[in-house]
This record gives sequence, C-alpha cells and structure tokens, in this order.
Amino acid sequence: MTATQTGGTLRVPARTTAGTSSAARGWRRYRPATFYGFIAPWLAGFVLLTLFPLGYALWLSTTNYDGMTGRYRYVGLDNYTAIASDPDALHALARTGLYTLGTVPLSIAFGLLLAVLLNQQIRARGAFRALIYLPAVVPIVGSALCFKMLFNADFGAVNAVIGLVGIPPVDWLSDPGVFVVLVAVTLWGVGASMIISLSGLQGIPRELQEAARVDGAGAWQVFSKITLPLLSPIILFQVITGIIGSVQGFVAPLLLTASSGTASVTSVPQSTYLYMIHVYAQYFAYGRFGYASALLWVLFVLILLLTVVIFRVSARAVFYENAPDTPTRRRRTRETPEVTR
Amino acid sequence: MTVLERPATLPTPALGPAPSRRAGRRRRRAVYVPLVVIAVAFLIPLVWLVSISLNDDAGLASGSLLPKTLHWSNYRDAVTLIPFGRYAVTSLLLAGVHAVLATLSSAMVGFGFARLRARGKGVLFMIVIATMMVPAIVTLIPTYLIFARIGLVYTYWPWVLWGLGGSAFLIFLFRQAFSAMPSDLEDAAIIDGCGWMRMFVSVFLPLAKAPCLAGFILTFTGGWADFISPSLFLSNDQTTLAVGLSAGYTTPAGTPLYTTLAAGAVLYILPVLVIFLVLQRGFVNGFVTSGMK
Repeated sequence: MTATQTGGTLRVPARTTAGTSSAARGWRRYRPATFYGFIAPWLAGFVLLTLFPLGYALWLSTTNYDGMTGRYRYVGLDNYTAIASDPDALHALARTGLYTLGTVPLSIAFGLLLAVLLNQQIRARGAFRALIYLPAVVPIVGSALCFKMLFNADFGAVNAVIGLVGIPPVDWLSDPGVFVVLVAVTLWGVGASMIISLSGLQGIPRELQEAARVDGAGAWQVFSKITLPLLSPIILFQVITGIIGSVQGFVAPLLLTASSGTASVTSVPQSTYLYMIHVYAQYFAYGRFGYASALLWVLFVLILLLTVVIFRVSARAVFYENAPDTPTRRRRTRETPEVTR
Repeated sequence: MTVLERPATLPTPALGPAPSRRAGRRRRRAVYVPLVVIAVAFLIPLVWLVSISLNDDAGLASGSLLPKTLHWSNYRDAVTLIPFGRYAVTSLLLAGVHAVLATLSSAMVGFGFARLRARGKGVLFMIVIATMMVPAIVTLIPTYLIFARIGLVYTYWPWVLWGLGGSAFLIFLFRQAFSAMPSDLEDAAIIDGCGWMRMFVSVFLPLAKAPCLAGFILTFTGGWADFISPSLFLSNDQTTLAVGLSAGYTTPAGTPLYTTLAAGAVLYILPVLVIFLVLQRGFVNGFVTSGMK
C-alpha cells in the first residue's frame, strides 16, 4: 500500500508486469482506464453519496445552521462541547449502549445455539431452519407492528397470558416495559445471526471434530476447543455488524412507542430514547442542523473507534486459518485472486 | 453429537462404549424439544397479527384470544382506507428499480475488481470494504439535506442514484463470484475479438445468475422494508407502503384502528414471506452469506 501511495503519478515503470506469466496477456490486463471505467459507478457513488455527505455534515457541525433562515455562522467546536452538557444526548448514548450490550451478545449466543442445534442430522431440519429464520425476513415496520399488537395493554396476547397466572395487565408500550419489547423484537430476528453461524459451522471440516472425538474429547470440549475457535472470525464479524446495526436503532423504537397513528420522534419514551432518535429529533423536530450534525459525527467516530478497538482486542482471540504466523501461509488465495490464476 | 450422525454400520470401537439407544433418544429429545418450542414461539407474533386482522373491536375488547367470526372485511378496509394500491406500486417500483440498478452496477464494479488491474486497486477495494462499516444513517441525513437543496427531494431520483452507485456488500459478493471463474473464458473472448465490456455482458454476467438473483432479492426486500429513506425523501402522497402503513389507519380523531392496521400489515408482510418461502432453500442454504465464506 505504501509503495503505491508514494508514486503520485500514474506511470508505473515495470513494477506491475512482475509476476505475470505471459507478456502477451499483459497489455489488456493492465490498462488502468478499463479498470477505472468498470468501477466508475461505485467510485462516483462513493464520492457523491458517501464522502460528500459526510463532509457536508462535518462542515454543518461547525456552524449554527438551522435549516430555515439561511443565515448561519461558524461556531467552531461549540456544538461538540454542547454535547457533553446535553443530558438528553448522554442519556440517549447510555441507552443505546445498554441496548447494544443487551442485544448483540444475546443475539449472537442465541443464534449460535440455534445453529448448533440445526446443524445436527435431525428430521425436518430444513423446515426448522426456515421457520426460525422466517421472522428475520419480516420488514422492520411489520415486526414492530406485530410486537405492538402482541404487547398491547388492552388486547395483547402477552397480557392475556400473564393474566392467566393472575398478574395484572402491564402497560408494555410505555416506560419501562417498552425497552423489553424493543429487546424482544430485536431478538425475534435472531435467524439472521443463526444463518451466518450455520454457514460457518458447515465450513468446519468434520475430520477435525472426529479426530478430537477419537482422542477422547467430550462434546463440550470439541465445541469449545475446535468449533468455537474456528468460528471466531464469523463471531467477530457478527459483533461488529451487530454493533453498527444496533447503534443505528431508530425505526423499531419509533414505531413501537407511537401511541396513535403518526409516529413522532418527540413522543418516544425515555427507556427507548436511543441515540438516533435524539439525532433525528434535533434535526427535524428542533431544526438544530449544526448541533445534530455534530451528534452524527460523534456517533460515526465512536463506531470507528469501537471497531478498531474490537479488532485489536480480538486479535489474540480470533483464529484465522491463514494467520501470518502459521507455517502454511497462504495469504494470496483470499486477497489477490489474480495471482493464483 | 457427531456420534449420532455416524451411519450405524460403521464400527466405532475407538470412541469408547457405544451410546445406548436410550441415551440416543434422550439426546434427540434434547435437540427437538427446544427447537419445537422456539419455532412455535417465533410464529406466535405472526399468528397473533393474523388473528387480530380477522377480529373486530368487540372481539378485541372481550379479550378472547381468537376471533369468533372471521371479519374478512378488515382486509377490504385496509386497502380502501389509505391509498394502499398506490403505496404498494410505489414500493414495488422503487424497490424494483433500485434492486435492478444496484445489482447490475455492483456486478460491473465487482467484475472490475475481480478481473482487471490498475494502480490503486487494492486501496480502493479496502475502501469498498470499509464503507460497509459506515452506518447508513450517518450518510443518509446529510444526503437528504443536500438533495433538498438541489431539488431531488420529493422525486424518485435518489433511488436511481443509490442504485447506480451499487452496494458494497454486493460488490464484494460479485468480486468473489467473478474471481472464481476460469481465465480461459477471458482468453476465448479475446480471441473472438471481444472488448472488456462485451466480455462482461455476454460471457461473465450470464454465468453469475446466482449472485445476480441473490443481489436482486436482498436489495429488493431491503427496499420494500426501508422506512427511513421514503419517510425523509418523499411526501405523504407519494410515499411507500412501509411509511403509509405506519401512519394511516386511524379514525379522523386519531384513534388507531387496530384490526384494519393488522390486516394492512399482513398484506405488507405477505409478499416478502412468499418470496422467502419460494426461495427458502437458497436463503437458508447460504446465498445470503455466500460472500463471507
């Protein structure tokens, strides 16, 4: 990487032709214009729909723009220091942390357990897999409405069931019960995690597990010493995507708590007042574009930091088949498919 | 666990005492019982939704768990009380256009990353992967503010643009698929005098039907489910079913009409479930995750 960055110009003498078998192939494979032509749609999209909006938000976050008057001025880092003294923002951040800590590990563990069960040779395995995965394909608006009906205080099935054992009806959709409903609707989609873990389990060579059995390992030992380490990259992947998904939590808390038809970010109760709800409210309910953009950037940076930290911390725990220090080093197979051909 | 899977004819002396038949049965029960309980529990929310969609207010108030008579009229109300058909067409159109464009565009970009070479390719691919880590909502709101300034809000253009830009995950998926194809294909095409674009369109793309289908289905269902973009970028009249559904179905006074809402929700969820059940094998057996292996 560093080598390519130092060049600066487009001409690269001789370096690129190293490693090809036939020079005759070379001319067509190394025309950079063709490559850039092919990736142009993504590149344009990346610059215009990702980089530019991010930069625009960063610029907005240093102003007091309100989206209405068109008059604004540069305020430096004021918006960022304001976050530290905004109790709602801090509360929302803590809530989001709690929600993430509560749902991500639970989803992964539950998904893994289901994957192990569904990886057995059992009858109707396909049907079980389909049924348990089914809720994961239900659109979020649909699942939020489902759970709103299920936990409705007056006619919900949950209150009917707990009524059978004599518990008085609970108003689930307001504080603090609504947090339980939010966690429940999230866990309902555990099938997504189950499928990923299942595909990981299917990729583990059976000989490894059988060899361990032959050596006298019990089922738990095989799972913890062989299966789990081999699954660790997939678990890491789920941790990271799970965190990124759950800090964006917005639609479910919004739809779960709107008492009447129209959902409004300002009516979301305390216990599900997640960070994105706060951001959205600052933008579109209060028109504090500059401040809300600062909130957005704080979230973005937090996610970046968290991802880096998780990668660092997990470096020891995660087992890669083609880790750099193992003798059978084969980095090329995954990273650069051209070399193998 | 693996002992169970071994064919009975294989002698397994090295494994110690063979598990007795009763132990096997107990173990099988330990797998089936939790699975049945969980599968049933997971179906309850959907069953409940359908049950409410066939009930009436009196039935709900009486607290009976299942409707006494089936009120199919709720479904008629669901499609007439709000412009259900128009919302559904918008959802279909936006999700469809976005999915087609995103699939084709990602295929093209994935082909570039798999088959072509240029300076900076490695770095660019790292950026593709890194964009998967950028929370979508962080770019979405500023995009809305920008589009509002240049008049792209309250039009369907954002979906076209997002589609053309492709999706990082699909690019990754297509890169994997195109990398795995033999290079003889290229040589043959070159000998026939094909350019790279022709080669992509008429040689490689037809061979990538599975990732194309996967990409289309994933993007389409994602678009059908999307709530935030249409609620931001579209007015209430031109919005999609996801937004229309969650905002409509109230009496003029604002009291929610639960039975009608439930019927509308069933109609909204149903197409996705049908797609899933038809392609269930593909979903469950891994095209969702095929890029990750």
